[in-house]
Formats: sequence, structure tokens, C-alpha cells
Amino acid sequence: MKPPRPGIRIWAVIALAACLASCEMIEQNVEILSGGRVTARDAQKVLETGEKIRGTFADITEEEEYYIGRSVAALILAKYPVYGNETVIQYLNTVGNAVAAFSDRPEIYAGYHFLALDSEEVNALSAPSGFIFVTKGLLRRCRDEEMLALILAHEVGHVTGKHGLQAIKKSRLADLFTFAGTEAVQRYGPAQIARLTNLFEGALSDIAEQLIERGYDRKYEYDADAMAVAYGSRTGYEAGGIVRFLETMVNDASPAAAQGWFKTHPTAEQRIDRINREIGSLKTAPKIDEVRTKRFKQSVGALK
Amino acid sequence: MKRSKFIALFGAALMLALAVFAADVVIIKVQATKLRLQPKFFAQTILSLQAGDRLEKVGESEGWIKVKTSSGIFGWVHSSAAETPKFALSAMNTTLKSKATASEVALAGKGFNKQVEESYRAAHGDISFVWVDRMLVFKANPAQVEDFLRRGRLGEYGGAK
Repeated sequence: MKPPRPGIRIWAVIALAACLASCEMIEQNVEILSGGRVTARDAQKVLETGEKIRGTFADITEEEEYYIGRSVAALILAKYPVYGNETVIQYLNTVGNAVAAFSDRPEIYAGYHFLALDSEEVNALSAPSGFIFVTKGLLRRCRDEEMLALILAHEVGHVTGKHGLQAIKKSRLADLFTFAGTEAVQRYGPAQIARLTNLFEGALSDIAEQLIERGYDRKYEYDADAMAVAYGSRTGYEAGGIVRFLETMVNDASPAAAQGWFKTHPTAEQRIDRINREIGSLKTAPKIDEVRTKRFKQSVGALK
Repeated sequence: MKRSKFIALFGAALMLALAVFAADVVIIKVQATKLRLQPKFFAQTILSLQAGDRLEKVGESEGWIKVKTSSGIFGWVHSSAAETPKFALSAMNTTLKSKATASEVALAGKGFNKQVEESYRAAHGDISFVWVDRMLVFKANPAQVEDFLRRGRLGEYGGAK
């Protein structure tokens, strides 16, 4: 028998791949579709180069990020008590959601949620999936809505950049992706859930160590500052609000200032220089507005 | 045809075919969102969408995707709320099953999910989730945020530049 011409072979392969990609055919065996000419190992090579199989933190699903974020939030709340003033919490949520709407990731699995912490530390923390916290000590330092909005925009920046998820060790992610890819069950059994819970605990520990204990790397802080300027000004806030906030921290040797946001961040002076350059490159730079300062004082001014 | 050439050609054709078949479908990846009349957040909403809903992609504009529902309704969803699904043959195949795409894991609700959180909570009774759940109750809906923007002369209501 004469071998088929190369052109026919090429079209046959394209047709085969097209069938393979269709919903009806996708469940059929690769070996059968390849006519037995491709071994399992070869087919795996095709699959690995041709598809977006999970490989990095960016492939963590929205739902997985949400469950990681919930537990990281719970770990933050195990360290800090809540400041349960509903007026303050509602105000934080409105300002925070306003800047989030102008961010690069306005929609997130269960939305952005903000909470005040009853601590004199000057600190703000963001867990994955949009659970964001600011301390009373930080709120006291803010004199207007622009300052608060820009700090919340900085925290939203950590969430949109998935900076928390990037703390998870690569080997742990590889284990998760392999495990979740092989266990095609509706509900996990005891052994499977024990394995996954172990990986989950490890991921939480990786994130909490960075977020609560060690702080983000300098690069992520500068990135979040740049995002704060972008998101804040897009919303219509004066981006210099974050500079005015940072200026309150310069040469502040108080214990409250030495903890939290500035325990591990780059110094206020280092950040101010970079942020001013970002602001200088804005096409339009909104100005502070008294109407916003007034409502800030009404909501946060009476902080106990 | 040599095996290496066949593999390369097969892979390229597969990617092309996947792109052709999958390019016009998006799946909602957030818990809940709205189909909007215009490509902006504070536009009138047409209907509610939830995680896993499939929509036909018919266009896009500056971070927004124009879609058509299965009942033929057109509207817009933000690109951060939807994804183009990716499916791996390896996850469907019993002999090659070793990895999966994010789309498959998301649709199957696998990986870190509610069941894993329950297991974690059972082992860590000292970690309270009471305020985490209460946090989810505090929210600002789009109408509240739009009113807040209007009163604060922000967004499209912006004043001093």
C-alpha cells in the first residue's frame, strides 16, 4: 500500500486535533484518537506544551483564593481585636469599594470587605480575595478622605497583584495542583481531605508569616504604592493623600509607628520619593475636595 | 512522518482548534455578578449571574466583555468576573490523568474548598471565623457606591482636576 501524501497527513492531523478539541470528543482517549502512533508519554508532552495546566500562584482559582483569604483573615483576627463601630465599618466599606471599582480587579469572588481593628498600631493588612483591615491607630493618623482612600487603594493593590498568594511555596503549590488534578471526586474522602488540609495549613502559614510577621517584600510595597496612585486618581481622589499620610510617619519614633505598616515596609522617605514621581506622571491629577473631608470627619472624626 | 514532527504538528493544531472552539465562550468565575446594559460599573443591570454561568462572547471594550446569554439577552460583564475556559485532555483521560487546568478545578469545585475549610476549622478550634462571616455582611452595593461618588464629586461626577 502507498503511504499517504504529506499534505493529506497534515490535514488529517488538523482534523484530528479539531475533533479532539470539541466538547463531544474531548473525553475520548488520546491514544485512540492518535491511532496508536503516539505513546502516552508523547501525548503528555503535547498536552503540557499546548495547554494552560496549573503551574503557578496565578492558577489558583477564585474559589480557592477565597477560602485561603477567609482563613488568613481569621488568623489576622486572632491577633487583633475588632473595632466594631458600624458607622466606621460602613464608611470603610464604601470608600474601599469605590477605589476597588476603579482598580484592575474590580470583581473578586465574594467582593471586597473592610474592617477596623482595635489597635493603636499604625497598620493595614490585606488577606487574599479582598479581606482588608485597618487599625484605629492608622485611622487616627488620617485627616481627610483622600489619605484613607489612598491607603485602602494600596491594600487593594496587594489583592489585585495577588501578593499574598505569591508567598506560598512553589513545592506546596505543585503538590496541590497535582493532587487536585488527579482526584476527580465530588467530595473528598478522609485521606484526601487530610492531605489537602495539610497543604492548606502550609499555604496559610506561608502567607501569614509574610503578611503578619515579616511584611511584604519591598518590591510589592512599591508596586502597591504605584497601584494606589493609579486607582486613587482614577476614582477622583488627590493621590498626594498617601504622601501626606507618609509624612506623618517621617521621624516618628513612637512605638505605634514602629510596629505594623512601617515595621517592615520601606521607609516613609523612600516611598514618598517614588510616589511623587508616579503622581508627576499622571495625565490628570484630581484635587482634594472639602465635601469629602467633611464626611470623613463625620464618620471617623469621633473615633474613640 | 517522524514522531517528533507529528507531535509538534499535533500540538500546534490542537492549540489552534482549542482556540477556535473555545474563543467565543466565557464562564463566570466570581460568586455573583450582574449583566449590565453598558460597559461600566454603575450602568443599569439586566440580570444576575453566578459562578459557572456560561455566556457567549460577542465583543470586548476596555476591560469589559460583551456577551449573549443562552436566552439571547445581550449585555456586558467585567473581564475580572469571567474567564475563557481551558480544558486539559489529561484530566479527562484515565491513563494520562495527572494535572488539570484552573477552569476544570473551578468548575469541579476541587482544590481548597469549603470542605477543606471545615476540616481546618475542626483542627483549629481556637481560630474564630465569626468576624470573617460578619465581614461579608458589611458591603457597599453599586448603588450606594455610585451615590457616594456623586456626593463626593468623584468618578464621572468629579470636579476639581
